[in-house]
This record gives sequence, structure tokens and C-alpha cells, in this order.
Amino acid sequence: MTDSRTAQNIADQLNELPPSSAVSLQMSVDNYLDVMRGVLDLFANRRDMDIIYVTATISFEAIKRVLQALDIDTSRVYFVDCISHIMMGASAAQHDEHTTLVESPTMLENLMLKVEYLIRQSQSPNKLVVIDSINSLAIHNNNWILSEFLHILVSGLRAREAYTIILSVEEHSTPEINNMVNLVCDQGIRVDKGGGSP
Amino acid sequence: MMVQRTGDRERCITGIEGLDTILYGGIPRANTILLTGSCGTGKTSLALEFLIHGALKGENSLFISVTENSEKLLANIIPYKFFDKGLVKSGKLVLVDLPVMYERLGLTKAELSMEEIDLLVAAITDLVKELETKRLVMDSITSVCYKLKTSEKIRDFILKLSKALSDADCTSILVSEMAGQSFSYSMFGVEEAIADGIVYMANMERRGDLLRTLQVIKMRGTMHSRAKYVLDLTPVGVLLVPLLKGGSAGT
Repeated sequence: MTDSRTAQNIADQLNELPPSSAVSLQMSVDNYLDVMRGVLDLFANRRDMDIIYVTATISFEAIKRVLQALDIDTSRVYFVDCISHIMMGASAAQHDEHTTLVESPTMLENLMLKVEYLIRQSQSPNKLVVIDSINSLAIHNNNWILSEFLHILVSGLRAREAYTIILSVEEHSTPEINNMVNLVCDQGIRVDKGGGSP
Repeated sequence: MMVQRTGDRERCITGIEGLDTILYGGIPRANTILLTGSCGTGKTSLALEFLIHGALKGENSLFISVTENSEKLLANIIPYKFFDKGLVKSGKLVLVDLPVMYERLGLTKAELSMEEIDLLVAAITDLVKELETKRLVMDSITSVCYKLKTSEKIRDFILKLSKALSDADCTSILVSEMAGQSFSYSMFGVEEAIADGIVYMANMERRGDLLRTLQVIKMRGTMHSRAKYVLDLTPVGVLLVPLLKGGSAGT
């Protein structure tokens, strides 16, 4: 189902980074499962991290199903779901203790506030925030406001010594989006279609 | 030479991290603040959090409820994780219903006279002194103003109350209601001119999204940010982040 070498390669690269690092992780659509395995299972879960997963692409339920199919422990994954509400599919989230809804991906300040809340709630010294994905957020927001959002969010997370991983999908990215992400990240990881890092 | 940004005034640390940052360390002690905004903006929650943090630090705190029964208020208020019911039992946090006070003082008429205003201010001041109150919230001052009717009486009441509280070294928040779209920061236009500080809370619409915002308009005795912040009411208290400006024609 997943390419274990690709997943391990991603985890190895992340393991070399100090806390408070911000990482741009560019992938192909085909590599999504490898990225999930590498980031959440082989990197975060093995290092005993609380994971705050911001989803603007698909609902938290869909991601949870993916993680369960991959047999990845989701007990420490907390979702900030920006998409279920506007898709009128928020009812399940209201009963899920691990999920917080943001009404719309255009409410970037509220997204930051929910992340801040979960960071404060976390008892773990090790925290990871995953943004999935910058391309989806770019559908709903212009580059100026998105750039400002990333700058404030990543700076705040650095101050709290949390890792930040910003996912982007190669097929959907533009030079403007890539520049925006590179500006706030210390490290870039690119997983090409074949599964390796070029 | 280093620029003195915070002034020499001792601070009343609100305990609301974002607000203390905006105010360079907290409200200058003994200031009277007008916390103003339309309904549903989070005024009561923020004011109550200010008192709870004070009580937790050992400062006697007093909530004077004008519009809502204090028991109902306690039951309905957002379940703050740091709230300890023991604060109420121990008397560190006292909730008083002003209508009960009106009755005891015989202030039952629809409009208060100048003498009755003095009586009310004296009663509140006595209570503050008796309880050794260091933080006070009156929610809302607007409801009291409806019983005062004229600008002169409102001015007189707020000036006297503000001076008495300041003399008692009590930092106070007067909650003020205002209409959704207003060119003034208070219902009667008088309150804002007298207060030492104005914290303005609003519902801001941006491209169909409704954001709760907070902005410090003025604060005597300290430098402060005048930028607009977005807030969230959470079980760990009020959280604030800067309003994003990029590319939007925000109000």
C-alpha cells in the first residue's frame, strides 16, 4: 500500500531537524500515503509527539479512515478541520473529542486560534503541526493574506518549539506558493513521483 | 537613552496573555476601563476571566451584575478550566446583583436623582472597601445609565464611581453595550470620554465570515497596541491573534 523506503526516507530527514523547525514537504498526489506514514507514524508517533493536523483538503473523517487503513495510531492526532463545515458535513466532528472545526478555510485567524488552543492543551513537550495543504488554503485565500498567515503561524510555533510541516502538492503548486512556503521554512523536502527525494 | 514604553505605573496583570501583551504588561493599576461592544462579542466572558485570574492571584474580586442574575451567570459562563468554585466559597470572587442593591437602598424609581446617585456610589464604594476589592467588574454600566437618563447624571455617576474606585486602588472594568453600527464607543456617548481606557470588542464581517475582534482604543498610563486582534473564547480563556490584513479591504 505504501512504499516503506519513501516513508522511512521522509522520517529520516525529519529526524535530523531540531525542534521548532519549519519544513516544506512537497509531494506528488501519488505519494500522499507515504507522506502520512513517514510524517505521522515513523516520525511523530515514534518520538512521542502530539500531532495537530490542520486539514483544508479533505474532512478529518476521511483522513482518519486513511490513517486507520494504514494502521497508524491516531490517539495523539488532534484535527483542526477547515473544510467539513463548508461542505455541510460537520455533524460527526461535533461528537469527536479530537476534532475542532473552523467554519471556513478563509477564517485563517480562527485556524491560528484553534492551533494555539490545542498547543496550550497539549501536555507533551514534543509537538508537531501539519498543514494539509497550502494548495487547498490557496484556493480560498489570496497569496497576500496566506503569506501573512504563514509568517505569523510559523513564528508562533517556533516560539513554542513545535515542529511545523507544510504540505504542498506538486501538481497543484505555483511558483508564488512555493516562494511563500520557502520564505517561512528552514528546510524543504521534496518527494518525487518515483518516491525518492531528488 | 532607552525609551520608556510602559510608564512607571504599577500594573494589574489581567491574566489574559494576549491582552497583557497588547497593554505592555497589563492595565495600569486603579484605572477604570470601559469594555465596550455589541452583543455576542465576548465582553462578559473577558471581564469574568479578568476577575477569576485576579482571584486566583489572591486579589479580592467583585462582579456587580446588573442585567443577569449572578447565579445564572455562573451557570452559563463558559466552563473555564482554571475556574475554581472555591474562589466563590472563600469570598475571593464575590458576585453581587445590583437590582438587589437598588431594593435595599430604596432606589426603586425609574430615574435616579443626583442624591440617589451619590447613595449608589457610596454603597458600591463601601462594599469595595469592606471586601478590600482589588478588581471590579460592573456588567453593564449601560443598564445603570438607563436609570440616569441625562448626560449630566451619567457623567456625574461615572466620574464619582471611577474616582472612588481609583482611590480604593481598585482596577475596574465597566462593561458597556453599544449598537452594532455606531460612531461612538458607548450608548450615551459620555462613558467613553470619562474612562481611563477603552477596550472595544466587535463582530467584524469579512467576505461573509464573522470574526470576533478586540482593539484597545485608549489606555491612560501606558503605551499600547492600537491594532485589531481576532479572539476566541476557549476553556483556557480568551485567546488573541492579530487580524490578518493582507489583500483584504477589512473594516
